Amino acid sequence: MKGLPLKPKFVAGIAVLAMALAYMIYAGVTQSAVYFVTPSELQASPRTGKAYRLGGMVEKGSVSWKAASLDLTFTLTDGQAKVPVRHHGTAPDLFGEGRGAVVEGRWTSEGYFQATQILAKHSEEYKAPHDANSAGYKELMKSLRGEQK
Amino acid sequence: MIPELGHGAVIVGGLLAFYGAIAAAIAGRTGRTALLESAQHAALGVFGLVTFSMLLLVYAFLTFDFSVRYVALNTNLQTPYYYRITALWGALEGSIVLWAWMLALYTLIVILRHRHNARELYSWVLTTMLGVVAFFLLVMAVPAPPFERLSPIPANGRGLNPLLEDSGMITHPVALYLGFTGFTVPFAFAIAALATGRVGDRWITLTRRWTIVAWYFLSLGLLIGGWWSYHVLGWGGYWAWDPVENAAFMPWLTGTAFLHSVMIQERRRMLKLWNIGLVILTFALTLFGTFLTRSGVIASVHAFTQGSIGIFFLSFLSLVVLASLALLAWRWEALGAEGELDSVVSRESAFLLNNVLLVAATFTVFFGTVFPLLSEAVRGVKVSVGMPFFNSVNIPVFLSLIFLMGVGPLIAWRRASRDNLRRNFFWPVVAGVVSAAIFYAAGVRSTLAVLSLALTVFVTATVAVDYVRATRARLRMGESLLPAMGGLLVRHNRRYGGFAIHLGILVIAVGVTGSQAWSLHREATLKKGEAVELAGYKFQFDGLAAREASNHFVVESTFTVTNGKAHAEAMRPAKKFYPQEQSPIAHVDYRLGFMEDLYLVLGDFERDGSQATVKMQVNRMVSWIWIGGLVLTLGTVLAILPDRKKLA
Amino acid sequence: MSRKSLRWLLPAAALPILALLAYGFRVNHRDIPSPLVNRPAAPFVLTSYAGEPMSLEANKGRVVVVNFWASWCMPACYEEAPVLERNWRTYKDKGVVVLGVNIQDKPEAARKFIDQFSLTFPNALDPAGKVSIDYGVYGVPETFFIDARGRIRAKHAGAVTDTVFQREVDRLLAEPR
Repeated sequence: MKGLPLKPKFVAGIAVLAMALAYMIYAGVTQSAVYFVTPSELQASPRTGKAYRLGGMVEKGSVSWKAASLDLTFTLTDGQAKVPVRHHGTAPDLFGEGRGAVVEGRWTSEGYFQATQILAKHSEEYKAPHDANSAGYKELMKSLRGEQK
Repeated sequence: MIPELGHGAVIVGGLLAFYGAIAAAIAGRTGRTALLESAQHAALGVFGLVTFSMLLLVYAFLTFDFSVRYVALNTNLQTPYYYRITALWGALEGSIVLWAWMLALYTLIVILRHRHNARELYSWVLTTMLGVVAFFLLVMAVPAPPFERLSPIPANGRGLNPLLEDSGMITHPVALYLGFTGFTVPFAFAIAALATGRVGDRWITLTRRWTIVAWYFLSLGLLIGGWWSYHVLGWGGYWAWDPVENAAFMPWLTGTAFLHSVMIQERRRMLKLWNIGLVILTFALTLFGTFLTRSGVIASVHAFTQGSIGIFFLSFLSLVVLASLALLAWRWEALGAEGELDSVVSRESAFLLNNVLLVAATFTVFFGTVFPLLSEAVRGVKVSVGMPFFNSVNIPVFLSLIFLMGVGPLIAWRRASRDNLRRNFFWPVVAGVVSAAIFYAAGVRSTLAVLSLALTVFVTATVAVDYVRATRARLRMGESLLPAMGGLLVRHNRRYGGFAIHLGILVIAVGVTGSQAWSLHREATLKKGEAVELAGYKFQFDGLAAREASNHFVVESTFTVTNGKAHAEAMRPAKKFYPQEQSPIAHVDYRLGFMEDLYLVLGDFERDGSQATVKMQVNRMVSWIWIGGLVLTLGTVLAILPDRKKLA
Repeated sequence: MSRKSLRWLLPAAALPILALLAYGFRVNHRDIPSPLVNRPAAPFVLTSYAGEPMSLEANKGRVVVVNFWASWCMPACYEEAPVLERNWRTYKDKGVVVLGVNIQDKPEAARKFIDQFSLTFPNALDPAGKVSIDYGVYGVPETFFIDARGRIRAKHAGAVTDTVFQREVDRLLAEPR
């Protein structure tokens, strides 16, 4: 093309860079790709060592938190299948029983999902309340204030 | 009354903007100045109307007018007055108002600055600016009306998202949007250049300062966003490669490329096609950013709610991209280069490589962001790529860019001779290599950290070499030291402003390197009186207390922090409970330092205050990032100073 | 293809990317599966704001729409209140009943809400939140569609629209009892 400012060797150089980039992207994607699954999908074909993002509802009564050892266990369900999950460390504030949550981690060979991260779902449209006047909070405040005497 | 008035102002403003765009376009085609004048008056009117509607909205906030849905959703009777004002841009509809207002303001400034000095291009610039304003007013009129009524009128509003009750919330959107909207101006000039066929230097010379200012505000917005994330969100990080973050980062990357490539066009009359393409891409990416955050197309923690607004944005984005590229294709011939790239070892080549790398990074970020969509469309599988992807591809790119920062400004144009290379780079290379050895000897074992720091030393040395050499030349001519040094900065403010900006970026890079390589964290459950250690600090849990604030109540923990030498300090990470929120919001307590930040987040706790779980972080060199931002600011101010014609 | 027309590749290249973004509209990220679907609905007995008993058991044999709401929940509860009232009036003679469960609210504010929207279907306060816990209510508003045999068949989170209401209720009405 008339007026092309680049000699063929520059075009070749850029092509090499482009290929290097393509390779790095490919490698990056295959190494850090995280697959979204529901509990049913995971139970259907769990693969140990593969990185997953598991989404479901935290089953009521399934949450167990051992503060001393920082071990959190709970069950994620989608109504059909259940997946036991373990996590080291506190859960984010949005996490709770009967609520949706997404966990990132791997399926272990011991039959549970080891979560490295918990991403609790935040809903913009509708919100459950914490009415500052309702019984639960008054009691919490009282007990904490009482601590100080 | 107010909602109707506001909505009316928006509609009239939109029609006026549309009229103005058409009038300016016809004036551009036919040369009829009367129409151009009319378009200018229309732009003035639009600015007045948009300002008016914005003030009405602020008034509605200040008077607790819950009949306006946007006010009811984003404030309540307990919201402090300053957040009531800034809630204006706290959610979707209001953010569009702010965007439209800034566009209208920029249009006015363009008129004042360029109506005489950009004769041939002016009408088309005005067309484009008013066209974009018209679109945003259309969005305000139809899918996202800020003045929609809520009926019946609720007794109390819902309230601002507590995460947004923060100084960062006040400033981050403003800076970011000034950056985004600022890029509309160079884009408008590029379209004008294509429309008139005047694709030479003129449009670039006229938009130089616009580009730098827009770029600066975008940089500032990104930095404030990082700061906000760091001190509010409780994870101790400042960047997560979240789709919304990426959406703001991509135009920054291409904007940076554009800033540099225009210098090649100015000097060598090359890359004309590339430059216009880049500015179109940058503007398209700013639209893409607003599309991404408001359409719900890609899931993100930041996203506003969706609705039909996504379709509006995608349609406009498509229109802009296809029309601009069509114009570009139409003017293909005129965009041929008048110069040629002579040698790989040249400034042109360095700048070109800089551009290639920045575009590569942009592509990577874009690819990673839309990958979930792509994999679902192609394979039906929902996959996402996380931080490791972005980091693994971008880090080599950024390190290369740092290297180029040292090479570009000093290397000769056209073809650098051996002598030129030796004179400019011998000592910096030596400095870099020696510093690498020193870092390694000092105990730095991470290859990336050594490389990054050594490159920083290399680049700093090149700046020093240039400055010292230039100062020496002036001293030889009889000037004394300080006037020589100062005179250089003023006389060549563009160059030295650029150097200062580069130094700012380096400081940020060092901060990023340090924080990634050497930060430490730990989580522990402590009984009252118990302590735990991290990085030489002892954190002792002293207890919990509860208190009420205006619109929430707080459970506050107290920790005594000691580090052996200094006196003990109390830190109070807390949890805030807002009536309208699903769950408590963590309030981080932190202490900033030059080399170290202390960072505490309260996790779970026993109601009787006997025990608490806490996350501790000792973050290294994060403050360098904010300091780098300061240096960036100073450099920008220097770079955009008006040109001094007289010799110093 | 002549050299001249190669230039049009540039705008053409933008099309697949724009198409991909358009595809994104079809993808929905918000689905949280509810494990309660197809399970028997938990029974409850509450006292409505009108002073009458409101119980699920008493409505066996009818299609029941249970709506969880609060007076401070906006804009969604404000949007769906007229929808619920409108559809209640249409369907109440067809063997459908709408029951509103008011959670975590103050009675005065709730009564005001009921008056403002002129709601005629029964609404009751769930004082201890027990009903909302039994139904796994995560936020407001949430609406459960229960068939004539007392099983939860659908859950809708967010404001209910005419389309959603009629689609679910018609489906359940069409089933043999």
